[in-house]
Amino acid sequence: MKNLLKLLSPFAPDQSGAVGVLYELDGLVVICDAGGCAGNICGFDEPRWSTKKSAVFSAGLRDMDAILGRDDKLIEKTAMAVGQTKVRFTAVVGTPVPAVIATDYKALKRMAENKTGLPAICVDCTGTRLYDDGEQRAYLELFKTFAMQKYETEKGRLGVIGCTPLATGYMTDSLFRQAYGDNAVFFGMGSGVDEIAAAGKCEKNIVISTGGIEAAEYLKQTFGIPYETDFPMTPAMNSVLENDLDGKKILVVHQQFAANKMRRSLKEKFDCTVDVGTFFKLYNEYKQDGDCFIADEEQLVQKVRDGGYDAVVIDNICNRALRGFEGQLIDLPHFAVSGRLDENGGQTCLA
Amino acid sequence: MNNAFYITAAQLAKAGFENTPDELLSAKHLIYSSPATLAFNSPGAQGFGVKRAGLAIPGSVMLLVSPGCCGRNTTMQSRLCGYQDRFFYLLLDDTDIVTGRHLTKIPEAVKEVYEFCDKKPSAVMICITCVDALLGTDMDRVSRKCEELAGVPVVPCYMYALTREKKLPPMAAVRKAVYSLLKPQKRHPDAMNILGYFSPLNDDSEIYELLTKAGIKSIREISRCEDFAQYEKMSQANFNLVLNSEARYAAQQMSETLGIPYIEMMRMYSIDKIHNQYMSLASAIGVTFDDSEHYSEAKAVIEDFGKRRGKLNFAIGEFLNADSFELACALLGCGHGVSEIYGTVGERNFRFIEKIAKLSPETKIFSNLSPTMLDYEPSGKTIDVCIGNDAGYYHSGVPTVDWNEERQPFGYAGVKLLFEKLDEALKGVGK
Repeated sequence: MKNLLKLLSPFAPDQSGAVGVLYELDGLVVICDAGGCAGNICGFDEPRWSTKKSAVFSAGLRDMDAILGRDDKLIEKTAMAVGQTKVRFTAVVGTPVPAVIATDYKALKRMAENKTGLPAICVDCTGTRLYDDGEQRAYLELFKTFAMQKYETEKGRLGVIGCTPLATGYMTDSLFRQAYGDNAVFFGMGSGVDEIAAAGKCEKNIVISTGGIEAAEYLKQTFGIPYETDFPMTPAMNSVLENDLDGKKILVVHQQFAANKMRRSLKEKFDCTVDVGTFFKLYNEYKQDGDCFIADEEQLVQKVRDGGYDAVVIDNICNRALRGFEGQLIDLPHFAVSGRLDENGGQTCLA
Repeated sequence: MNNAFYITAAQLAKAGFENTPDELLSAKHLIYSSPATLAFNSPGAQGFGVKRAGLAIPGSVMLLVSPGCCGRNTTMQSRLCGYQDRFFYLLLDDTDIVTGRHLTKIPEAVKEVYEFCDKKPSAVMICITCVDALLGTDMDRVSRKCEELAGVPVVPCYMYALTREKKLPPMAAVRKAVYSLLKPQKRHPDAMNILGYFSPLNDDSEIYELLTKAGIKSIREISRCEDFAQYEKMSQANFNLVLNSEARYAAQQMSETLGIPYIEMMRMYSIDKIHNQYMSLASAIGVTFDDSEHYSEAKAVIEDFGKRRGKLNFAIGEFLNADSFELACALLGCGHGVSEIYGTVGERNFRFIEKIAKLSPETKIFSNLSPTMLDYEPSGKTIDVCIGNDAGYYHSGVPTVDWNEERQPFGYAGVKLLFEKLDEALKGVGK
């Protein structure tokens, strides 16, 4: 049955992706939920929670708040928290509850701005979509709200969009700095809302998560900043290259830009054929023949079975679904899939 | 920088429960899921949330019917706790949550899950979440359809975080659910059940000995049932002993449907209160208990600890196998100090706060969930030891006893174990 998972667990949802983008920006982030979604995000999908403080709170909605649509109560609570913490803006991140009751985010944004005097953004998440969808919405809202001005372009200044633990498995910017240099700005990781506001200074943007494409396109349309996609080589990717894959047909399953980088590296080192599969967004502009979107575990099994692959490079939490596969399974962790960080050697991380 | 909000025990007792400040009432402010609180603040984050608790029925599996976000943490839970073969997910999309069309898919999904399992499950628990709470789903009706199609008992459980402060909050509702498959049968006068926890009491708890000496031959706990047949025998009980108030509704249900009466006790750390409770229990079931030896042993352990360690100053959290305020009262009664408590003030435990106000009026009471805790910094009296890993989070480097093991401490044995653990934590710390 479609959407029935018998062997895999659900992947990181959109609200986790949105919080991952906003986490380091000194905002007051309100997850519009009853408590469970915030608990999941802070306790599982946000590995920085135990190392770096951030004002991420649950709205603590109760049934009557939802049924009666008590937005004013939410704004009262938000204003109270703004008075108790030092923040630059407020953000409301949606969950299934506001999705069911059709919360009016535009009104919420206006009410929050009027009550707190701070800029406000709302990210329309539903909990039914995946993390890169939430990243996409959060980046777009951020740049639309804060990047208002076109500055003179700073030569050599790179903007990197998509540095989130969910997309990359890294919760600090060390790997990205190594790959893109000290002149790069990693939006949302090791940088704040001032860097978002100054996005117009960048000479070029590099998008490393599929959740960053629309924001990059927005910055291109608004400020004329060109962009390209890439992904830094990670230790886990280098480990994949230690296998003997000459003459093999390989399927790489990850987020599209990480998988594309893995493909390039494999093809540089080996005489091999590589397809990319992804559970997340698949952009036609960056795909090749044989690449595909994988909707659920049934499609994963089918793709592997029908593709005639000798090896599958995939997060090893998916091995359960591929237990009938006779070829080689090679681990490539993806935090949004398994909660395993590349940064800590692929160990499971509980924030 | 702002400071974390607190109120002293004396101020709070004087104000009265009705005037509890908003900062201590979770319904009145945003909720801070700090690293200190994650384990208990999310209905499914760690420990026994609704999902894991719902699998207390031996041999059962769970189908979580929800948006993907609700099942996300189960990745971890499944792997760490060996549940990976017991969780299944029917993911809802945007159209499902608007139209409720997913309800028609559930019976087919249950059938597919049942057929997929090599070892056929004893029951399928269907766990639904906030979406269905708002849609007003009649899950009993859906469950009956599932049973007809799949030929297996199907039990709904409700992970409705939206109703956490209602009369039947999620953790109370799931306790009702896990006993709902029991069928009436002949009751045995020498059989009883312990209700309240999803893991057993520590084997050395004197409650087993006291009950056995009083003539009880079968003491059953759901977590000790190895298979469904053993679980079914729980309806032979002559009475239920409720050790956690969240099991009260389950006990009421068993009283109505199975005719099993119940008696309620509370886990306490004051040995005089423990004694009083045992005497009340004995009186209620018409037996006598001689707990003098256990009482003396526990008293000796407390006194010995006090002699060796001197007067210690405690910080007490709330993610622990105790009521934070009762535990504070017990420690104050032993002559120790309690400077800080991170807990949830409620009508039930306010009497302990009044007692703390008399014994230690300056004790500071914080709410773990207040956004102001983002800025918590230790101040005031030096803390010698923490109980609860949330307290330990605030006082990094201070010896800490987590006191949240899955095996449940109870009675005098629980008191002795706590002081043993405190001794272990303080090893090497001069006093």
